Amino acid sequence: MLTAAVLVLAAITVAFIALLIARPEITLARGGKIVAFLGLFILPVFAGMLGFANHLERSKQTSFCLSCHVMGDYGRSLYVDNPSYIPAAHFQNNRVPREEACYTCHTDYTLYTGGIKAKMRGMHHLYAQYIGKPHQPIKLYTPYNNRECLHCHLGSRKFEEGAVHSADPQIMADIKSNKLSCTSSGCHDSVHNVSQLDHVKYWKPQP
Amino acid sequence: MTQIPPGVQSAHAFISKRLKLSGILIIAGLLVEGVSLLWNHPLSFVVFLGFGGLLLATGIVLYLWALVSRVP
Repeated sequence: MLTAAVLVLAAITVAFIALLIARPEITLARGGKIVAFLGLFILPVFAGMLGFANHLERSKQTSFCLSCHVMGDYGRSLYVDNPSYIPAAHFQNNRVPREEACYTCHTDYTLYTGGIKAKMRGMHHLYAQYIGKPHQPIKLYTPYNNRECLHCHLGSRKFEEGAVHSADPQIMADIKSNKLSCTSSGCHDSVHNVSQLDHVKYWKPQP
Repeated sequence: MTQIPPGVQSAHAFISKRLKLSGILIIAGLLVEGVSLLWNHPLSFVVFLGFGGLLLATGIVLYLWALVSRVP
């Protein structure tokens, strides 16, 4: 939908510019000056901004993340047939939208909300993928933040009334303030586990 | 019919030459950006920003410059 809007806007801009190139004398009149201002400034700026927004939106797609070779195993890990694998369980049971699975749990990643530094990291990933060599194994830049879990689980009955979560009010406070990590405190620690992928069973989705 | 004074004619010829170049650059930029939108890949973003964005920005700046520059 957004792509179509950009293409339509680009086509209108091209029509305005074609008119200016074919009949430059129209810019002598006021109406022609307005056409020139629209075609050579306002419309291209809007088309560029819409195109940029469209690219950002599409880069949230799981297929976009997995188009880099180094991410292949992380994509495979979403199909592990073992409910203790947190990403796999979320992906297979539609707890996260499958087409935006990576972004849903990594909202602070590179281009999105991490500021200029994070955007530069995104450019570095492109460099590493196509010119340099990615680190093996790849690692998150910062420890996984509970915020990524809490933006869905916070307030849910299963989370708030869970036996371990509510055993001690301090535990809940520490989870919510990110002092006690969901994924690395020994509670939900089977995450992507890509080193184990050759030794696990896989789920095959129904066609 | 009103005659256009020679001074205005030469100024118009100068500006319309700039506008043509600016228009061609903007069309090229939009074409590159349009093609990049049909390809869902990290490199398409680089093409969009690095090639399409650059052509588009150059065209727009050239147009704005033509508006404010002194006619020879």
